[in-house]
Amino acid sequence: MRQVAARVGIEPSYLSKIERGLPAPLSEGKIRALSLDLGENPDFFLALSGKVSSDIQEIIRKRPELFAELIREMRKMPDHAVLRLVREVRDGNW
Amino acid sequence: MIELRNDSLVCTFPGTVAHGTKLIISFMKTLRVPDDGRSYPLPPGLGLFPLEHVDDSRQVVPESWNEHGGVMLPMYQSEAMWIDFTSSYVDEHEVRYPFAVKVAAGKMNAITGEFWSNGISRDPQDYMVVPGQPWLDGYSVDKGFIRQFVAMPLGEGYSAEGQITGSEDVGGLQIAVYPMKKEAFEKRWPRKPPIIEKPLYLRGGSGTVTMLSVAEKGMGMAAGGRIRQEIYEDHFDLSEWDLNTSSRCFVHLANSQAWRAITGNHPSTKAPTAKQYSLHGLPWFDYYSDRKSLLGSDILNKLKSVIQFGKARRQNPLPENDSVDPGNIIRIDKPQSLDQVREWSGRSE
Repeated sequence: MRQVAARVGIEPSYLSKIERGLPAPLSEGKIRALSLDLGENPDFFLALSGKVSSDIQEIIRKRPELFAELIREMRKMPDHAVLRLVREVRDGNW
Repeated sequence: MIELRNDSLVCTFPGTVAHGTKLIISFMKTLRVPDDGRSYPLPPGLGLFPLEHVDDSRQVVPESWNEHGGVMLPMYQSEAMWIDFTSSYVDEHEVRYPFAVKVAAGKMNAITGEFWSNGISRDPQDYMVVPGQPWLDGYSVDKGFIRQFVAMPLGEGYSAEGQITGSEDVGGLQIAVYPMKKEAFEKRWPRKPPIIEKPLYLRGGSGTVTMLSVAEKGMGMAAGGRIRQEIYEDHFDLSEWDLNTSSRCFVHLANSQAWRAITGNHPSTKAPTAKQYSLHGLPWFDYYSDRKSLLGSDILNKLKSVIQFGKARRQNPLPENDSVDPGNIIRIDKPQSLDQVREWSGRSE
């Protein structure tokens, strides 16, 4: 635990708190560093902390209505249906 | 249907060919071989060019790009490229699915030098067959030789389009893909009985919008140095290709400045020169196949290379064009097997 804490740049006692599920807010950068160190998906760790990745926030902020509607539409869709969403390269007039 | 996935074009034909079959087309950064009259082995792949939908930048790309649709990628002036084709393996038939692929630059066919037409032709053959043709590095100028694709600004006359037609209105690359008909495929390679595996029990574990002008910012493909590369004859029957089920894509070439303006991203680093690369003893490649190859195009053989064209105008378009002696040449005969790749994965600068 000490080694992981040192690599991520937090106090071991703080990491211990996180491990025990006690309130210990971390910045997005530290969460990313921790997830990468542990070989986990950063988005998953961010979600556990009640956060959304800043790049995703930026995407939503650019077209908030569109993405809010899209996400609400997709909330009940099974994973395979979400993954099947494709975007075709548009062919025009040459 | 063509999708853009991981900086590659993924061509699929739902409902018409074997399930899950696809052709992946990628655009590889590479070093520019010297344009010195000598012939060189195949240069390495140095990573993929980034690709973006033209539609993602509708308000800032030239109007003609919106009209053409497709995708765009950034290239530096006099930067080289090769195109990689990978078709998917169909387990039930134990073979890769065949596709006919047609490539043009500035709407001039890269195999025949003729103006773009839809469909494919056998006389002369104006397309390649994948698998069998894993890469295309440039214009087919002679039997066993191509002249490398080298990006040059439109409007200066260097491109094949400019030299053949006298104008440079189109630029970019154009690609069309035709799958083999499903019936023809299944006739040639009947379905193999499924292998039933015995169970295994011991398994381990918004700012100001500025419209850009194509004349200022577009790029076209000129003919660079000579490379040893065969373009293979189609050994299938023409009637086996499904000409009603094509997918095609226009690939726009943005210079680095335009790419920054359009996407806000910096293009990736420049490839090393052939001299820098060879000095470190890094590998070049030769591809061997016993298939019959095409003769090359008389039209394309008459193209002036970038150096020849520049010299006629007292220009020096390729300042770093020193001849090299590639010593480390790797022979490839199974390009789509996992252990043989035409890439050098080191840093490109």
